[in-house]
Amino acid sequence: MTDLPGYPSRRSFLKATAAGAALSGLALPASAQQTPKPVSLDDYQREYLNADEWAFIMAATARLIPSEGDGPGALEARVPVFIDRQLASDYGTADDWYMEGPHDPNAEPARGWQTPLNPAEVYRQAIPAFNAWCQDTHGANFADLNAEQQDAALTSLQNGDVALAPELREFWGILLGNTKEGYFADPQYGGNHGMQSWVYIGFPGARAAYREWPERHNVKYPLGPVSISGERA
Amino acid sequence: MKTFLRILGGLAVLGVIALLAFIFVPVQISKPAQVLAADWQPEPGQGEYVMHASDCVACHTAEDGEPLAGGRAIASPMGTIWSTNITPDAETGIGEWTYDEFRAAMVDGIAKGGTHLYPAMPYENYRLMKEEDIRALYDYIMADVAPVKKQVQETQLKFPFNLRFGIRAWNWLALTHDAGFNPVGASDLQDRGQYLVEGPGHCAACHSPRTPFMSQDGVTADDDSFLAGGVIDGWNAPALRGEGSAPQAWSVDQLAAYLATGRNAHSTANGEMGLVVEHSLQYLTDEDNLAMAAFLKGIDGAEVEATETFATKGKGSLEVPGADAAGEATAKMLTEANPDMPLGARLYSDSCIGCHFASGKGAPEIFPELQGNHMVTGSEAKPLISVILNGAEVPGTAKRPMTLRMQGYANRMSDDEVAELATWLRTAWGNNAGPVSAAEVAAVRGASASH
Amino acid sequence: MARQEKKKDVVIVGLGWTGSIAGIELAQEGLDIVALERGHDQDTVPNFEYPQQIDELKYGVRLKMMQKPSQQTLTVRRNDGETALPYRSLGSFLPGNGVGGAGTHWNGLNWRPQPVELKLRSHVRDNWGEQIIPEGMNLRDYPVSYDEMEPFFTKFEKVAGISGYAGNLNGEIREGGNPFEGWRSEDYPMPPMPTTYDASKFRDAAKAMGYHPFEAPAGIASTAYVNPYGMQMGPCNFCGFCERYGCYQYSKSSPQTSILGALKRMPNFEYRTKSEVLRVELAADGKTATGVTYWDEEAGEEVFQPADIVILSSYQLNNVHLMLLSGLGEAYNPLTGEGTLGKNYAYQMNGGVSMFFKEDNFNPFVGHGANGQVIDDFSISQNDFGAEGFIGGSYWRSGTFNGQPIRNMPLPKGTPSWGAGWKEGIGEWYGHAMSIGSHGSHMSYANNHLDLDPTYTDRHGRPLMRMTFNWQDNDLRMNQFMKRKMEPLAASMNPDIMQAGFKDIGAQYDVRPYQTTHNTGGHIMAENAREGAVNRYSQTFKAHNVFAMGAGNFVQNTQYNPTGLVGGLAYHTVHAIRTQYLSNPRPLV
Repeated sequence: MTDLPGYPSRRSFLKATAAGAALSGLALPASAQQTPKPVSLDDYQREYLNADEWAFIMAATARLIPSEGDGPGALEARVPVFIDRQLASDYGTADDWYMEGPHDPNAEPARGWQTPLNPAEVYRQAIPAFNAWCQDTHGANFADLNAEQQDAALTSLQNGDVALAPELREFWGILLGNTKEGYFADPQYGGNHGMQSWVYIGFPGARAAYREWPERHNVKYPLGPVSISGERA
Repeated sequence: MKTFLRILGGLAVLGVIALLAFIFVPVQISKPAQVLAADWQPEPGQGEYVMHASDCVACHTAEDGEPLAGGRAIASPMGTIWSTNITPDAETGIGEWTYDEFRAAMVDGIAKGGTHLYPAMPYENYRLMKEEDIRALYDYIMADVAPVKKQVQETQLKFPFNLRFGIRAWNWLALTHDAGFNPVGASDLQDRGQYLVEGPGHCAACHSPRTPFMSQDGVTADDDSFLAGGVIDGWNAPALRGEGSAPQAWSVDQLAAYLATGRNAHSTANGEMGLVVEHSLQYLTDEDNLAMAAFLKGIDGAEVEATETFATKGKGSLEVPGADAAGEATAKMLTEANPDMPLGARLYSDSCIGCHFASGKGAPEIFPELQGNHMVTGSEAKPLISVILNGAEVPGTAKRPMTLRMQGYANRMSDDEVAELATWLRTAWGNNAGPVSAAEVAAVRGASASH
Repeated sequence: MARQEKKKDVVIVGLGWTGSIAGIELAQEGLDIVALERGHDQDTVPNFEYPQQIDELKYGVRLKMMQKPSQQTLTVRRNDGETALPYRSLGSFLPGNGVGGAGTHWNGLNWRPQPVELKLRSHVRDNWGEQIIPEGMNLRDYPVSYDEMEPFFTKFEKVAGISGYAGNLNGEIREGGNPFEGWRSEDYPMPPMPTTYDASKFRDAAKAMGYHPFEAPAGIASTAYVNPYGMQMGPCNFCGFCERYGCYQYSKSSPQTSILGALKRMPNFEYRTKSEVLRVELAADGKTATGVTYWDEEAGEEVFQPADIVILSSYQLNNVHLMLLSGLGEAYNPLTGEGTLGKNYAYQMNGGVSMFFKEDNFNPFVGHGANGQVIDDFSISQNDFGAEGFIGGSYWRSGTFNGQPIRNMPLPKGTPSWGAGWKEGIGEWYGHAMSIGSHGSHMSYANNHLDLDPTYTDRHGRPLMRMTFNWQDNDLRMNQFMKRKMEPLAASMNPDIMQAGFKDIGAQYDVRPYQTTHNTGGHIMAENAREGAVNRYSQTFKAHNVFAMGAGNFVQNTQYNPTGLVGGLAYHTVHAIRTQYLSNPRPLV
């Protein structure tokens, strides 16, 4: 067995030497800090999205999960950060997917993802196309429309009334899907800031330990969530 | 070997003046405890078995090195000690050693050529081994271990610890017991257990207290302090006798299971004891692990109920205990899961309750109980802190091949949080041990981070 | 020129459930064995550790435990007239990857088939006559019977560690168990799991209607457990992260908890990961295999591994693909009925009802993959096929299995899918919904089959496999029957809102939403080489030293999750190898 760092051993003297070399990459933090206050969304350093795309994502997610009413909105949950980071990751580039041709983007939706574009490319091409549609239909880029117009535009996008190229057909689905992912995923991915969405619905997050609870029938589980990194709410 | 750090401290206490006086004490070489017949031959496999029982590999094998070829580095404030090559290589190992020289090393701590071994070599205990076992071990090493040519770095400690003859003085204090085995005579089974525990198993090296000169206080079964518990570099080696000790609380088969598999109905072995299980005890016969268990069970005179099997495969479903009276209040509080619970309980609910449960009882053979667990409630908090930060691992063995591991929470909890959690654990379910400070946690974390 | 490795007695292709079973049982014979695993190595320690494993995005949504389509996938079409298109991103089914295979990320539902399911054609013929079998349905008997399989089901359940309560113990029907199950020679290895609130509501409603509810048999430990190999399980804590995850708690039956630790200690066994088998090599006369050629990912080269026995134990789809590529039989032709490879591909027909109770708290995150109360009152053995107009059946189950909010957020119909209405809906309904699922049989048809795709290739240049599959009326009629029976039961529970989701006649197969990873058939068992690819011992008719394990053996799918039958067949096969084949290698039938 491999000795664990700091573990008792008749031979533990050696840990400062031989084992030290092997474990030197595993320097532990002085303490597990609670998440520091993040930079504002305006100051956030984007990893994938350009300025126009960011403006769109900020505006669109704010309508998909608005701030008004109970529970956090997408902006309070920092969903745009999540989306930016996901598009910069192997999800954005579809590393796990089979992307060989020939492609038939016109295939009916039940045949699955058939566009030659990966998710990051879909965002890159669809946002200007959708903005152009908003210009034509509502007279301004999506981000510059009022909330009512934005909701109308998103409804058109959802209903397939925005004439996007077939290669961009998946745009609505991934935009909405990624927004909800960013709302509910563990905070380590940039969204679900402060676990507010988990608090809102009553999901205990990464606790994953309820042996005492299956037979506590019809009693609402009261304890707030914990994140993978150990944040409490 | 960790004990050696404190032994060195003991040596310093003796002081140079005493050392000078003892220079003139002649070197003591013990005679064989028993005379073997001229045509005596070990049983097939006996020597290899003795090697396992004596756990030679633990010290005499370097990380990823050839077995028994030495070279394990032992850093100490006085300098690095290197374990020796005990393969039969003529030049770099012990190939040129006669049997008498080998016995002297085992029994008196004196190497070929008269050099004193540092008492990291547990010759205090090995001197209780039977002549036939020492001889079998010698024959095995010479005949069956492949010689490995490996020059091990020479140990060079700082003055005065480089003056090995000083150890002669220490030996004069430490080796007051005769060489060879003296059975108590409780039963054949317990006598066999006594032999393994006292001699090859060298259990007293960790589990007995130390004298002011850091020799073992209680080397043989007839001494009341034998296995009464030791503290080594901030770690408790728990008492194996007396009220609340594991042998008192556990049945013989549970004790044997712990030795052979590192896990039983109550607890798991990890750290140093995990290594003993991994390198030594899992290779012993069921009879021998039962013998040691029976001896420990009866060490204070308790009646020993004989059992023939333990840790059988296909044991099937093992019921999970609920909270007992002492633990009920804590269990109820955790079960309710109210957000106003104390921070320590909240941290337990966030990271620990999944396996150790609201009951603090864990589950048999897999999740150790925390209620009454000596590592949780020991005088030393360092082990508990270390396990919370760095996790723990129980090696797989022949009878229980699954490796069990608890993950560490160094990245999930701050020093303050670990201190809160540890303090809470030390008073939960009726546990009664003192608080743990963030500074203590920081010290353990710092030591871990420097690796 | 491929590198050549030292010859082994046995080469195992794929180290999941069946590969692990073959490995440990044959290693006990002293055989020199190597297992080749396409994916990475993984173990509870350290790959499934808490809390990193409790990550819905990574594992539940991005599917990081699964086979990557970029590495291996197939094409899908719904009928012979369509052009098959690649299954580019995972949706409908999720083959596993890495050591442990799908056995690491399953839900733990462990069933035996009903005795009549193994002799279904006979059951139909004897009770209603063969004329009720629809045109195009390849309804078959298995060439093994329940009675001869019983010891092997028992063996697998002991190894895997299953929790439950026997309803038929040596013919005695016991209250609280499943009265419609086949007989059991022993009770389950562990007592049944506790019952969650939703399951208790379902149980009470089912009882009131005269049905026979019981706790689902679970490859989830209700207690601590030590299996016959000395491997261990820890009691489940209802963490709610079973399907798509490795179990951090050692609580879910898997090759890791049940076999691998013991197997890896055996000196005559070794395994190599990142070793993807490209084809089985046949001797010049084509009657035996000489070994396999695989792609060594680390070395970046092809390797020939000679062996006396080849065990194909990869996922069903990959087994069939490998057999098609290696010529281990002829590809099935649905027009002529000739050929056997790819024949009788089948799936699962599922539906269910969601119910919303404003005032009730279900704590949906408190659950496990095999949680719930079940009724088998509409199972295959209980349905009057002649009267109802279909062949098949289903079991119904209700119990929380995960409350992970990205994917498990049931909302009443009409709730907006975004915007203020959606946000309000999730706040109002999360934790207040429960469901009953119908898990139904799927028959085999000439129309549903597997062969090689003419267009698309994998990264090694091999043609992808092509799946031709669509829903068939028989199974859709079964599904609608279940809807008709389930809705009154659900209504009797007086939910504030309820809504049913059952595919209806005309439903087209959609590869996007997850359905099940119960892909079956394609190298089915049969009495003779004309009708199937393997015999009753999973031995290929083509080469007697090649054994193909897994759900590819299923002649049609049962109404249950397949693992119990897969495990039983694996033990049946290795028993035959140990007792009949090793002493005299030959075709066993």
